[in-house]
Amino acid sequence: MSGPHDLGGAKDFSGPIDKSQHEVEDWERLTDAITTALDGKGIKTTDEHRRAVESLENYAELGYYERWAAATEKLLVEKGILTKEEIDERAAEIKREWGEK
Amino acid sequence: MSENGHDHPHPGTGRTATPSTLRVRAMEKLLVEKGVLTEAEIQDRISYMDSRSPANGAKLVAKAWTDEAFKNRLLEDTKSATFELGMDASGPVEFIVVENTPEVHNLIVCTLCSCYPRAILGRPPDWYKSFEYRSRAVKEPRAVMREFGYEPPENVEVRVHDSTADIRYMVLPMRPEGTRGMGEEGLAELVSRDSLVGVSVPEAPSHFNA
Repeated sequence: MSGPHDLGGAKDFSGPIDKSQHEVEDWERLTDAITTALDGKGIKTTDEHRRAVESLENYAELGYYERWAAATEKLLVEKGILTKEEIDERAAEIKREWGEK
Repeated sequence: MSENGHDHPHPGTGRTATPSTLRVRAMEKLLVEKGVLTEAEIQDRISYMDSRSPANGAKLVAKAWTDEAFKNRLLEDTKSATFELGMDASGPVEFIVVENTPEVHNLIVCTLCSCYPRAILGRPPDWYKSFEYRSRAVKEPRAVMREFGYEPPENVEVRVHDSTADIRYMVLPMRPEGTRGMGEEGLAELVSRDSLVGVSVPEAPSHFNA
């Protein structure tokens, strides 16, 4: 069975290709770096990363590095390295530090 | 934020508090605190990717255009050929360089994701990751290339290569007519990222044609 990632020849995306480029943001660089550093250390593999990306329920709604971030989180939780709760907590703390509402 | 409002390679502080940015920062802090990763390891990865760019691919192509023996090595063993030019594309991923000829034009896509020769060319462009490119490149490659302003002559066979996590492709375009006498550096400037993916081809500079 193919998933939402299996786009070769998919009919839903027959429109023109958007050739605009956004500047890579720091958080995207960081997401890329954390994901590949974990791979480099043998903590997870590229294939696990793909499986985690491809099984995201909201695959099509997420941006590219949002999918990476969600997949990395999923794998870290699965492997018992981090818990969802501690990530929730720390994310809330950082949000307060940044002074965002 | 850049002070002058001009484009800058490192804009912003990355401090937009979207759920993803917050969770990534949280993961970074927790992973470092727990000793899973160090800040240095994370920074190394950022520098590694920032140091990769299409200029690497252009250098390889220009060298291949001017040195037949190098071209053969590039086609046979891409990784060791990149080492010769001081690039490090080591790692578990295989690289295959596919050569455009008067008979065959090559186009690269990754229908399943965004697999790309990152260790050589850096992060892929946004359009390469778009659902439209991934869907259409295998179905109507000529229509896709037309959108980028190029279409191979009708008698040329178009070969589309679907990348995987383990095998990454790069196109070796044909050296444009009218570039005889140009040195490697000048030739490299003709080689765009898009031509390394195959949605376009290098063209001779206008003053060479004149």
